[in-house]
Amino acid sequence: MRLIIDRYAYLDSLIHRWQQKYKLVGLISLIFAFSFVQKITLLPVIVVITTVIFCLSNLPLSFLLSRLRYPGWFILAVVILLPFVAGDTIIFQWGWLTLKEEGCWTSILISVRFFCILTISLVLFGTAPFLTSIKAMRSLGLPQVIVDMTLLAYRYLEELGNMLTTMQRAIRLRGFRYQQFSRRNLKILAQLTGSLLVRSYERSNKVYQAMILRGYGYKIPQIDRQQKNRLSQLDKLNFLATSATVIIAISLTIAEILLPAN
Amino acid sequence: MHIPDGFVPPSICIAGYAITGGVTWYSLQQIKKDSNPQKKIPRASLFTAAFFVASLIHIPLPPASIHLVLNGMMGAILGYYSFLAILIGLFFQTVMFQHGGLSTLGINAVIMGIPALFAYHIFHFNNRSNTRKKIWTQVLAFCAGAGSLILSATLFTVIIITNITSELDAQTEINAIYLSLISYVIQAIIEGAFTVMLISFLEQVKPEILRQ
Repeated sequence: MRLIIDRYAYLDSLIHRWQQKYKLVGLISLIFAFSFVQKITLLPVIVVITTVIFCLSNLPLSFLLSRLRYPGWFILAVVILLPFVAGDTIIFQWGWLTLKEEGCWTSILISVRFFCILTISLVLFGTAPFLTSIKAMRSLGLPQVIVDMTLLAYRYLEELGNMLTTMQRAIRLRGFRYQQFSRRNLKILAQLTGSLLVRSYERSNKVYQAMILRGYGYKIPQIDRQQKNRLSQLDKLNFLATSATVIIAISLTIAEILLPAN
Repeated sequence: MHIPDGFVPPSICIAGYAITGGVTWYSLQQIKKDSNPQKKIPRASLFTAAFFVASLIHIPLPPASIHLVLNGMMGAILGYYSFLAILIGLFFQTVMFQHGGLSTLGINAVIMGIPALFAYHIFHFNNRSNTRKKIWTQVLAFCAGAGSLILSATLFTVIIITNITSELDAQTEINAIYLSLISYVIQAIIEGAFTVMLISFLEQVKPEILRQ
């Protein structure tokens, strides 16, 4: 199982140098501003913003294209279907098949918005190690239980994935064939899942004991707050970049409200 | 069964985050009531990872195949941790596979997570009624597995079809909802049967997983 989202996290670019905590605030506000866009006239603006941010990140285009493959199928189905079912203004008719103007515009709106948000999400999580992103969320106030669960689940995701692959290989070597649906096959797959859960449960007991031995649950003394609160030059640049992104996001939302309807 | 970014209007995204915030807060309050909540964190985390991995198992259903949702099973085993586990699982899917979306994470958590809590209450109705008959456990397991999937599918279909565009007429919307739900009913029956088999396996091999 390949989960490598942060394979380009160690490149050097302006976006990579942007501290993850600030980057989260800036780019998430931009993602929400993009999802607010309903006016066709704003689509070129969000495409330009996305292109600039993606170019600044130095991420390879092949990385973006490989990530688009899976959700792209769902988008493709909707984009193909909507022009034929949504709207009243017919622009082309071929027998019972009618192509409608409103449906075409909706398809364009949805696919551009989707593509831009996906690219920004990729830049957000592809330009920093995944653990840094989780720590940044903790510093922004995510509850401790969720942080601990996320870190632990992430730690064991690949391991359990490999465990499942080994178990699937083992049942195949013993003659199990997936190709057809039957009660017997479903039962075998349920037992396979059950074995994975049992192994996870046994592992979790050992993990908990190891965590307790390492002092899990005890508060670490806080570091000197005065030193922590002093804004360095780097912090100022991070703050500046975040403010600029948030201002762009707010401007987009205001433009969306003020511009006349399509 | 995840809504991608850009598919629904911002009001739905905001409402989704608001409901998710509320349910997360409620779940955390319920977790804090436990005598030792820290002890259950590693178990809930590893099960989160295990369910995430198990959802990648494909069930062959010629000419295609379906993958398991398992939110009912998560509810039955994890209780109030299941909503948090689903939220984390959806976040992983968004970040690692671009399945779902960051702006729609809230609404997707509502679609998958609330039925998991429903499944938890359905499945543990057995404990409250003090009935330990095997057939009764199997019936509740089926209801938890199939019911939560049907509930998720209904929420997903209604939200996406009624919000994707205002240009669709009401009759087309209703037809599309019914059509989508028919395909999900078949999946729900399979998921229900799978949950029964999985619960029976755990009852035989490691019953304490179901008792905690």
